[in-house]
Amino acid sequence: MSKLPFDEAPEQVKAPEVSASPKLAPVTRASEGGPGANARYAFSPTLTPGPASPGAQLPAAPVRQVFTVSELSATIRDALESRFQNVWVEGEISNARLWNTGHLYFTLKDSASQIKGVIFRGALRYLKFKPEDGLRVVARGKISVYDVKGEYQLICEHMEPQGFGPLQVAFEQLKKKLAADGLFETARKRPLPTLPRRIGLVTSIDGAALRDMVRVLRRRYPNAHLVISPTRVQGEGAAAEVARALQLVARVSQVDVIIVARGGGSLEDLWAFNEEVVARAIAASPVPVISGVGHETDVTIADFVADLRAATPSAAAELVVRRKDEFFSHIDRLGEQLDAAIGHRLRRLESRLHLLEARPGYSGFPGRLAFRGRHVSELASALRHGVGQALARRSRRHELLRRSLDQFDPRHRLGAIRTRLVARDAQLAAAARRRITASQSRFGGLAARLEGLSPLAVLGRGYSVTWDAARTRIIRDAATLGTGDEIKITLQRGAVTAAVTRVTQQE
Amino acid sequence: MDPTIKDFEAAIAELETIVRKLDEGDLALEKSLELYERGVQLSRFCHSRLEQAEKRIEIVNERGELTPAPASLRLPDGDDEP
Repeated sequence: MSKLPFDEAPEQVKAPEVSASPKLAPVTRASEGGPGANARYAFSPTLTPGPASPGAQLPAAPVRQVFTVSELSATIRDALESRFQNVWVEGEISNARLWNTGHLYFTLKDSASQIKGVIFRGALRYLKFKPEDGLRVVARGKISVYDVKGEYQLICEHMEPQGFGPLQVAFEQLKKKLAADGLFETARKRPLPTLPRRIGLVTSIDGAALRDMVRVLRRRYPNAHLVISPTRVQGEGAAAEVARALQLVARVSQVDVIIVARGGGSLEDLWAFNEEVVARAIAASPVPVISGVGHETDVTIADFVADLRAATPSAAAELVVRRKDEFFSHIDRLGEQLDAAIGHRLRRLESRLHLLEARPGYSGFPGRLAFRGRHVSELASALRHGVGQALARRSRRHELLRRSLDQFDPRHRLGAIRTRLVARDAQLAAAARRRITASQSRFGGLAARLEGLSPLAVLGRGYSVTWDAARTRIIRDAATLGTGDEIKITLQRGAVTAAVTRVTQQE
Repeated sequence: MDPTIKDFEAAIAELETIVRKLDEGDLALEKSLELYERGVQLSRFCHSRLEQAEKRIEIVNERGELTPAPASLRLPDGDDEP
């Protein structure tokens, strides 16, 4: 090995003195590295005292050792590279720049000094975090000299953030980046569907997370249609799988909401949910995504991007059904308000009718009024009776249906039947309300007419009312009668029953 | 299903409007009854959709096809009875 001028400079200076062989060193160097140019200087005077220092007489002027730049550079490189083959150095990163070759160049500095460095693409790939300006790191590598520029730099093979784990730093970095891209903005968050037709579950097929979610969903929403998109949720490549699974289930028709979930674990276990590919897949999902990763205290990048964050997989499932429950109680409330509003309207009409009946003009015709009133209430009661029968028929039919269902499908579960019954009951009640309303509508029509036309006065003027034989229908059109039909005619005083002898139709 | 009802959200929005209109109360009787009928229809629509959903658990594969989930997932049924 040749001498190392860098390491052993003091000796090197003395060496010529001691050895007293001024020719030796330069010649050796020349033979090693240099073209003849060296030799010219090898024998020239070592020191040339200038005119300004005539008295500076060194006792024994050492022979100069002159290198070419290349020689010196090579010597320095040898010295540095053999001396610093594997060093650790801490400092703050600045001027970090990724070249399109994939290598990252940077400067490592402390308060007083700096050193240039590079991480080649191959090594860079293994870093979880991205070395960036301002980050304090500990780097491992070797020193290398770049002869062309006379620079030395650290070839960095590995790097760790100082004070934080690499994963923590990676987390913060990705969070910052995605935030800058606007992925966390509230405006991007979509509301959950009220009643999802299908619920997509992206998780491990044999994890506790899936079992927990299925249990919650089946308890709270027995009819739920679940579509599971299985994926590995930890280990190398898990992130890409999660992203892919999410894309797959999002494309299944009628999937209106997706839960991305994983049970609890260490930061490393949950890491897939802190990777950019998962975050991007969530952001790109065409339907809302709920994240339910880890335990309550775990926060992942997926949580920030998701439309809604749940603390755990079970909580995510609860969120889906809570919307459903809220919705149905809202519907029920509206239904009650609807009934109340129409009931109020009808009662007001009724009281107006009573007022009308109490007017002096009517008091002279109590009998007629009674007749009218009775008739109207008979009509209403007949209708109500009809409704009752219809309801009874319906529930008999329903009962039969239920029995035949049971026979047809013995596996049909009690719980499901109960749910159906409750819902059917609600339907029946709704149907009943409708029928009653229809009857009230007719009642109301009559009442309005009573009120408007003062029909008794009309009878007093000589008009009469013609009914069908059952006295349930007023005859307005001769075409509805045939010869021989029995009709009833109400006069101002009394009534007559008559038979039709001829029908004359009017154009 | 009723073609005049788009979806849940639309149904509930319409129902809310109807209730408000009825509450204001200056409508003709005929009109209020008409609205009431519509309201009942909307509320029924919402309830029936809940029943319509199919109780089913499936798995989506790489090709996007659906297959039934293994029995171990569809059950245990025992734990969801009250």
